[in-house]
Amino acid sequence: MAGKGSIVCGFIAPHPPHLVYGENPPQNIPRSSGGWEVLRWAYDNCREKIKQLKPDVIIVHTPHWMTLVGHHVTRVPRLKGLSVDPIFPHLFRYNFDTAIDVELADAVYEEARAEGLIARKMTNPNFRLDYGTIVTSHMLNPGWDIPILSLSANNSPYYFSLGVGIEEMYKLGRATRRAIEKTGRRAVLAASNTLSHFHFDREPDPNLPEDMSKEHVFSHANYLWDMRVLRLMREGRMDELLSVLPEFIEKTGAEVKSGGLFWMLAAMGFPKVPARVHGYWSVIATGNAVVEWDLSAELNGAGAEAHA
Amino acid sequence: MPEGQIVKGYIMPGMPHVMLPTESASRRELRDACRVAGANVREARPDVLVIFSTQWVSVLGHLVQARANPTGLHVDENWYDLGNLPYDFRTDLELARRTIDLGTAAGFQVRPVDYEGFPVDTGTLVALNFLNPKNEIPVVCVSCNIYSGSDEELKLGQAAADAVRALGRRAVVVASTGLSGHYFTREITDDEDRIVNEQDDVENRKLLDLMAAGKVMDAMDLVPEYAAKTGADMQFKSYYWLMGALGSGRVNSKIVGKVLGYGSIWGSGAAVVEFTA
Repeated sequence: MAGKGSIVCGFIAPHPPHLVYGENPPQNIPRSSGGWEVLRWAYDNCREKIKQLKPDVIIVHTPHWMTLVGHHVTRVPRLKGLSVDPIFPHLFRYNFDTAIDVELADAVYEEARAEGLIARKMTNPNFRLDYGTIVTSHMLNPGWDIPILSLSANNSPYYFSLGVGIEEMYKLGRATRRAIEKTGRRAVLAASNTLSHFHFDREPDPNLPEDMSKEHVFSHANYLWDMRVLRLMREGRMDELLSVLPEFIEKTGAEVKSGGLFWMLAAMGFPKVPARVHGYWSVIATGNAVVEWDLSAELNGAGAEAHA
Repeated sequence: MPEGQIVKGYIMPGMPHVMLPTESASRRELRDACRVAGANVREARPDVLVIFSTQWVSVLGHLVQARANPTGLHVDENWYDLGNLPYDFRTDLELARRTIDLGTAAGFQVRPVDYEGFPVDTGTLVALNFLNPKNEIPVVCVSCNIYSGSDEELKLGQAAADAVRALGRRAVVVASTGLSGHYFTREITDDEDRIVNEQDDVENRKLLDLMAAGKVMDAMDLVPEYAAKTGADMQFKSYYWLMGALGSGRVNSKIVGKVLGYGSIWGSGAAVVEFTA
């Protein structure tokens, strides 16, 4: 791969296993009669876009690989296995098999350390990829014909404070960007997280999870918050978005707190291009949006430092 | 059928450092204590181990392992570099189902999981490694709900004990849990390991002293304050479950604790405590 690499696109790519369950791909064992179509159709757009962009790698930041000491990167050439969701095992028992971009993993590791972050390489070939990585990767590229790189979510926003967590994610975003540039990759980024995250404490009907007559957002207040941040994204009002996210997290328990969105925005240089919202719907009451920032037509700016 | 009984209870550490090849004075003490616990369990000849693990986190109510023979290879998501945790154990299905039924009858959401490849957590496997190394004793595994409160855990522990009695089992009940939850957020060498701050150490010892003095109810009363001060592992809610299972608060209940070992694992608190009821 010659030349300077670049981030061609970034997605908010939520990972409820319900989306895979609703689709009935061959990799997933449980069968459904559908469900959550609006979000799945939204992902169809992303799949088409990724096919057009032909990236070298999809990098996923996942909240379901929560690490205590530093930021971890998957660093084995191939990971394969059966992933059974610990929360929704009746929906998600997925046979995954994916190539990992280990050269990029090494580069992200080195650049993260250069930022002063603690970083680790996950080199155990028996490691079971978390379902956040798998669902997001599947929904973006069900053929798994593009290598991925999975980044863990360090516990810092929960253990210390949101501010500490954001600072770390800005550093990790800058590190990721430099690693992409140095390795010459055309990369797609994926922040694997929901928006508002309050959810039902019981499944309305465990025997028919795809009963869409039971699906709704947790509250109107949460819905309004989700719409508020989506409007800011759609209008490219990045500074306002960044300033409102802490309150959004506090009010809605947004999974954004785990860091992926901050990481992705920093890596992309806090783009002011309007984002495209492909779809929004609830999954077991959480607010989920599939959102795209297309950077393929632009040179990446140098905005990361401006906010860090 | 004679009425069953809980013959012993344990607090066991759930971090893999005590069973995988890492070394420090603290971990050595904990490992030795885990081995003593294992010997005592085998001497008690239980029919079943009932394990509540804080590392088996559930969100929608509680889950109970209902697969007859869970097998697989677990890799810890944080400590994957320490090695693999293979497992192959038997579930006491009758007791698992009765535990679910009684927990449900108590008004809680308790569901079975019976799936090939369902992830068994590190804490359960660490406990099994010491208490049931040859997997001769059937097991019932119970999850830790992230949102549950003290009352729910106490009653679910009682439900587990009621199920044991109803089915005539001799059971050992185990809470796989850490103590103080603050830890080193940086890389450390094994020799550097210690409780990460003095207050955590003081609070851990205060709690353990109450248990050792047989003041298990006082310890239970202290848990909310203790958990807030120390960032305790899952708010130390496993202790409510354990006390519920051991019969704390019931008429004539007398529970005595014995601290077999105490120390740090990556800065967090850990202990092996043996209870007899």
